[in-house]
Amino acid sequence: MKKVPIAPRPGWQAFAESVGFQFHTIDNEPYWDESAYYQFSLAQIEDDLETPTEQLHQMALDLVPDILQSEEKLKQLGIPETFWDAVRYSWENGEPHLYGRMDFAYDGKGPAKLLELNYDTPTSLYETGFFQWVWLEDQQMRGALPTGADQFNSLQDKLEQAFAELPLPRPFYFSSVTESQEDKGTVDYLMDIALQAGLDSRYIQLEQLGDIDGQLVDLEGFPIEGLFKLYPWEFMLQEEFANTLISSNTRFVEPLWKILLSNKGILPLLWQKHQGHPNLLPAFFDDGKQPLSAGWVRKPLFSREGANIELITDKGERLFQPGPYDDAGYIRQAFSPLPRFGDSYTLIGSWVVGDLAAGIGIREDNSLITKDSSRFLPHIILD
Amino acid sequence: MQQAKFKRSRKAALIFMVPAATLMLNGCGSEKTAEVQVFSTPDECAAFYNPPAECQAAFAEAQALHPVVAPRYANKQECEADFGVGQCETAPAQQQQQASGSFFMPMMMGFLAGQMLNRGGGMAAPQQQQQSAAAAGGRNTVPNQPLYKSRDDQRTFRTATNTPVAAQSGPTQIRPSAVQPKPATMARRGGFGAQAQQRAAAAPRQTTMGG
Repeated sequence: MKKVPIAPRPGWQAFAESVGFQFHTIDNEPYWDESAYYQFSLAQIEDDLETPTEQLHQMALDLVPDILQSEEKLKQLGIPETFWDAVRYSWENGEPHLYGRMDFAYDGKGPAKLLELNYDTPTSLYETGFFQWVWLEDQQMRGALPTGADQFNSLQDKLEQAFAELPLPRPFYFSSVTESQEDKGTVDYLMDIALQAGLDSRYIQLEQLGDIDGQLVDLEGFPIEGLFKLYPWEFMLQEEFANTLISSNTRFVEPLWKILLSNKGILPLLWQKHQGHPNLLPAFFDDGKQPLSAGWVRKPLFSREGANIELITDKGERLFQPGPYDDAGYIRQAFSPLPRFGDSYTLIGSWVVGDLAAGIGIREDNSLITKDSSRFLPHIILD
Repeated sequence: MQQAKFKRSRKAALIFMVPAATLMLNGCGSEKTAEVQVFSTPDECAAFYNPPAECQAAFAEAQALHPVVAPRYANKQECEADFGVGQCETAPAQQQQQASGSFFMPMMMGFLAGQMLNRGGGMAAPQQQQQSAAAAGGRNTVPNQPLYKSRDDQRTFRTATNTPVAAQSGPTQIRPSAVQPKPATMARRGGFGAQAQQRAAAAPRQTTMGG
C-alpha cells in the first residue's frame, strides 16, 4: 500500500458536474482529490480487506439475535423501549438489507482494525462506485495508468444485482433531507442503479412524506409500500411520525434492525464475543463521565462524520471534534492511529452489499479524526 | 480469462443522473391515450350496447370510490359555490378529521367505465379493443371512478381532481395518467426531518445525514 502522486485529469470538475457530482468541492475545499491515488497489492485487498470485511459482517449479523434476546443489550444500545418489538419484528420477518460500510485503520501491513460500522446511512457511495471507477478507466485511456491496473470496486454491479433480486415493493421510493445536496447525490445514484435494474423508482423529500391514518403516503396520497431513507433510524424514532413507522405498511431500506448494527455499541458487543480477534480493537460501554485516559477514543453511540469524538493518543495528545450527537451514551475504544501518508491520515471504508464485500473508498484528513470534510482519493490494485 | 479476476464492476454507467438521458426518460408526450366510456347512470350505460351487469358493476365501483376521492369542503357554502345549490352532501368523517367537524363534498353525477368492452354501436371490433386494453397494461389502465359536474359547466363530466373527461355520454379518449383517482384525505406532512434541522443548526458544517 502506497500513495502515488498523479496529474489530475484536465477539466475533471466540469465532467464531474455533468454526471451529477455537484459536491466534488464543499465550501471551497476539495472533496474529490485526484492529485494522488493509493496503490494496493491484490493480496492486501483480498487477504487484509475483502476477507475480514465479510467475516466481520457475519459476526455483526450473528449478534442481532443475541441483542434482541437481551433487554440489557437493547438498553445499552439506547434503543427506545417502545420500538423493541418493531426492531424484533423487522429482523424475524427477514426484512432485507441493502448495504453498509465498515471503516478500517490499515497501513498495508498487519490486520486492518475495525473502527466502526456505518450500517444505516453510509455515504460516499457515488464517489466509490462510480466516480473512482471512471477515473481509473480515464487514466488508463490516457496512458497515465497501466491497463493491468484494477480496482477493488464491484459496488455498482452488486447494487444493481441487489435491486434486481431483493423483494422490494413497486413503485419503490427514495428519500433524503431537502437541504443536503450530497445526500441527494447519493440517493440519485442509488435510484439510477435501481432504474437500470428495472425497479420503478421515485423520489420524495423526507420532509414531504405524508401520513394518512398511520400509513406513509406520497405527495398524491398513494401509500408508500417501499422506502429507501437516507436518514438515521435513531432520528426517525424521535420525530413526530415515529409511530407511523410501526403502523405503516412500508418496507424500509435499510430495515429497522439495522439500528442495532449502525450503533457504536456494536463495537463493545463484538469485543465481548470475540475478544482478541485480530481485526477488532478492545471496546467497552462508557458513561461519558470519567476523563478519558491516553490511548483511548470515546464515541457517542450514535454519531456521524466524526462528530463528538474525543481521542487521546498514546503520547497524551488530546483531540476533540465537537458536534450535535451528545444526547445518548458512549463507548470507549482502544486507540489505533490511522496511518500517515505525507501530511494526511488515511481511512479505508470497506463496502458490503447484501452479505458480500463490494469495494473500498479512501478518505484522507489532516487530523486523526476523519470528518465530513475529509477528502476522497481513488485507488488501484497493481502487483 | 483475465476478466474473471477483475475486482471492479464490469460497467459503471448512469442513465438518470446525466441530464441528456433524463430528457429521454421523461419521454415527452409518449403516453398513449386509452378509450373509456362515461355515463350518467347504469341504464344509460346499458343503452350504449354494454352488458347491463358490467354497467352495474362499474357504477358500483365508482360509487364506492366516491366518498374516498370526492373533493372535501369545510362547509356547504364553499362546496355549492363550485358545484351548485343542492348539489353537495355531507362527506363521511375520516379518522383524522373527527375533531374538526363535518365536511361536504359534491354529489356524484356520473361514472367513468375504464375497462368495459363495448359490444357494438359502431365501435371497433371487440378483439381489437381487447388488444388495446392489454397494451395499456399495468398502471396505465383506467380505474372505474365517479364523475362530477361543476356549477358553471353542467355539460362536462369531470374527475374528482377536476380533469374534464367528456361533454357527452359514451366512449371518449383520455390519457390514463390524468385520471388516476387519488384519496381526497389531506395527509399530515413534515413529520420527519426535525432532527436534521436541529443538528444542522448545531453543526452548520455538516453536509450529510449519512456517515
